[in-house]
Amino acid sequence: MAATLKPYLTAVRHSLTAAMCLQDFPSQVVERHNKPEVEICSSKELVLTPVVVSRNEREKVLIEPSINSVRVSIAVKQADEIERILCHKFTRFMMRRAESFVILRRKPIEGYDISFLITNFHTEQMYKHKLVDFVISFMEEIDKEISEMKLAVNARARTCAEEFLKRF
Amino acid sequence: MAKNTSSNAFRKIDVDQYNEDNFREDDGVESAAAGPDESEITTLLTQGKSVEALLSALQNAPLRCKNQNVKDHALNITLRVLLSIKSTQMDQAIDTLDQNDLIDVLMKYIYRGFEIPSEGSSGHLLQWHEKAFAKGGVGCIVRVLSDTNRA
Amino acid sequence: MAETYTFGTSLASITCHAWNKDRTQIALSPNNHEIHIYSREGSDWKLADVLNQHDLRVMGIDWAKNTNRIVSCAADRNAYVWTQGDDGKWKPALVLLRINRAATCVKWSPAENKFAVGSGARLISVCYFESENDWWVSKHIKKPIRSTVTSLDWHPNNVLLLAGSTDYKVRVFSAFIKDIEEPPTPTPWGNRKPLGQLMAEFRNSQTSGGGWINSVSFSSDGNKVCWVGHDSCVSIADATNGNTVIRCRTGYLPFLSCEWVSPTSVVVAGYSCVPLLYSLTADGKLVLSGKLDKSQKKESSGITAMRIFQSMDRNMRTENTDTVVDSIHQNAITSVRLYAGDKASATKVSTSGVDGQLVIWNVEQGGINGGMRNLQI
Repeated sequence: MAATLKPYLTAVRHSLTAAMCLQDFPSQVVERHNKPEVEICSSKELVLTPVVVSRNEREKVLIEPSINSVRVSIAVKQADEIERILCHKFTRFMMRRAESFVILRRKPIEGYDISFLITNFHTEQMYKHKLVDFVISFMEEIDKEISEMKLAVNARARTCAEEFLKRF
Repeated sequence: MAKNTSSNAFRKIDVDQYNEDNFREDDGVESAAAGPDESEITTLLTQGKSVEALLSALQNAPLRCKNQNVKDHALNITLRVLLSIKSTQMDQAIDTLDQNDLIDVLMKYIYRGFEIPSEGSSGHLLQWHEKAFAKGGVGCIVRVLSDTNRA
Repeated sequence: MAETYTFGTSLASITCHAWNKDRTQIALSPNNHEIHIYSREGSDWKLADVLNQHDLRVMGIDWAKNTNRIVSCAADRNAYVWTQGDDGKWKPALVLLRINRAATCVKWSPAENKFAVGSGARLISVCYFESENDWWVSKHIKKPIRSTVTSLDWHPNNVLLLAGSTDYKVRVFSAFIKDIEEPPTPTPWGNRKPLGQLMAEFRNSQTSGGGWINSVSFSSDGNKVCWVGHDSCVSIADATNGNTVIRCRTGYLPFLSCEWVSPTSVVVAGYSCVPLLYSLTADGKLVLSGKLDKSQKKESSGITAMRIFQSMDRNMRTENTDTVVDSIHQNAITSVRLYAGDKASATKVSTSGVDGQLVIWNVEQGGINGGMRNLQI
C-alpha cells in the first residue's frame, strides 16, 4: 500500500502543473467583473474537463480546471470512526480561517473533505511550482497529523481510564 | 406588478441561455464508431496478445460519440485490457502506442479509470500514468484537460 | 547572451509591452491600470511618463512605429490613442469602441491608419480616425464569433484581420473600411470583400475538440497563419496550399504567444517559461528546431547532502527548497515581440512575463535547416 504513495503524489503533481495554467480573463457575462470561471460555470467553453487521481477507493483528488481558476478537492484517508471525527474537526478548523489561508475554499465539494480554489491572481503573486509543492506537502502532512492526533487521543484515553480504574 | 399574472414562474427563466450569440458546441461530425469490438478484444486477451488488444481498443475509441452508454461500455473494455497488461509489458505497449499517436487517448482512459477505483486498479493505473507521462510529457495531460471529446 | 531587465522596484507582472521604432523607448503595464513609458539610458531604463487614464487592468498595448502613436485597451471597455506632445508627455484621445464588455487585445494595422480591438463582448472593433469630430470611430465584426476574442493580427495588405478566440476557432476576416482606403488586390485568402466578411475559419484541431486560441500571427507575406492553443499545440495553415493545417503536438505546457521570425519558423513561449523555435521542414512537418534559453540546471549552492539529511532528520521529510526555476524567466511568459528585424527575418525577440522581467533573446536562424544548408555539396 505504501508503495503507491510516491506514484500517487507524482501523478497529482503533474496533473496540478498541467491544470494550473491560468490567465486573467474578464467576465464575458457581467461587464467590469472578474470571476473565477470554475465556480460560476456560466460559459461551457471556459471550463475544462475535471479529472480524478485516486490511490484507492477512499483516497482521491479531484481537479477541476478552467481558464482563470482551478479547484482542487482532496478526500483524506479515514480508516475508522476516530479518524473520521478528527479529520472533520481538523478541516473545519482550517476552513473557518480560510481568509488567512488565501487559497482555501470555505466549503468542501460534495464527496471530499477539503477544497482549494486557486485563481490567476494567486499564480501571479506566487510561484506556480511552489503552489503545487504546497498542495502535495499538505496532502502528506494531513495524513501524518491525523495519525498523530489519533495516537494522542488514544494515549489520553488510556491515561484517563487508568486513573479512573485505580479507585477500584 | 407581480399580481398581474397568476404564476411567478416567469421570473425563474434563465433568459441568457436563449441569447443566440452564446457558444454552441460544434454539432460537427458525429463519429459512427460504435467502440471497440468486445469479442475481438476478448479473443486477443485469451491468446495473450494484450498489447494488440490495447492498440485495437484505443484505435476504436468512441471519443466523438454522443451516446454515454457506448462510451461507458468502451471504458470498461479498455480498463479490462489496461489492468491485464503486466508491468513488464507496459514499456513495449507504450512504444507501440507512441508510433500510432495514441498516447493522448491512453491518458484519457487512465484518468477515467481513476474515477471508478476497484481493488488494486488505482495502483496499476498509477504505473501506467507514470509511463505515459514519461513519453507524452505534461502536454499530454494538458490535452486530456482541454479536449472537449471526453473518453 | 540574453539581456534581462526589470522595471521599477515592485516585481509586478508585466501584462504586455510594446517598443517604439528605434527601440529606445518601451511602453509596458505593470499588471494594473497604468502604462509606464521607459527610456533607455545606457544599459538602464528611466521612467519617462506614466499614462493614467484607464480604470481597470490594461489588457493590450501597441506602438505605431512610423506615426509614433500608442493605442491601449483595458478591462474597463475603453481604448485610448496616445500622441506625444512637444513637451514629451503623452495625451489621450477618445476612442468610441461601443463594446459592453472588457477589451482584451489591440493591434495597429501595418499602415497605421486603423487598429482592431478584440473584446469579451464577442466582437472585434475596427477603429479609424474621423477628422470632422476629432475622434476615433469603430465598425464591428460580430458574426460568427461565439466567445471572447483573445488575439489579433493584421495581414500586410492592411485589410485582412486574423482573430483567435476562446470558442476554439481561428478566423480570417476582411476589415476593409471604404472611407479611408482603396480596395486591395486579391490574395490567396480570397478576393476583396466588405467589412466583416469571413474569409477562412480554422478549428484549433481537426481531430480533437477544444483548446482556446491564445495567440495568432500572420507570416511576413501574409499567406501563412500560425496559432498556439491551450492544448499545447502549435499549428500553421497555408492559404496557398488549400488552407491545409500542419499541427505539432508538444510535450510542453501551453503557449501564450507566438511570432514569426522567418518565412518558415516561429518563436513560441508560454507557461513553460522558455521561448522555443519551431520550424517547417521540407516535408511539411512542424518540428522543434531550437531553444532560445540556454540556461543550465542551476547548481544550488546552499543544498548539500548534509543539509538534506539534517532536514530529513529534523522535519521527517525531504526539503524541496528549489524556489528558483532553472530558466531565465521564473514564471510564465505572456508576450513575445520582435526586437530586431521583422517577420521575414528577425534576429532578436523580446519576451515579458508574470515574473516582471523583460528579456531580449538572440534568435539563431537555421536550426536544423541551417545546419543542413552548410552541408550541401
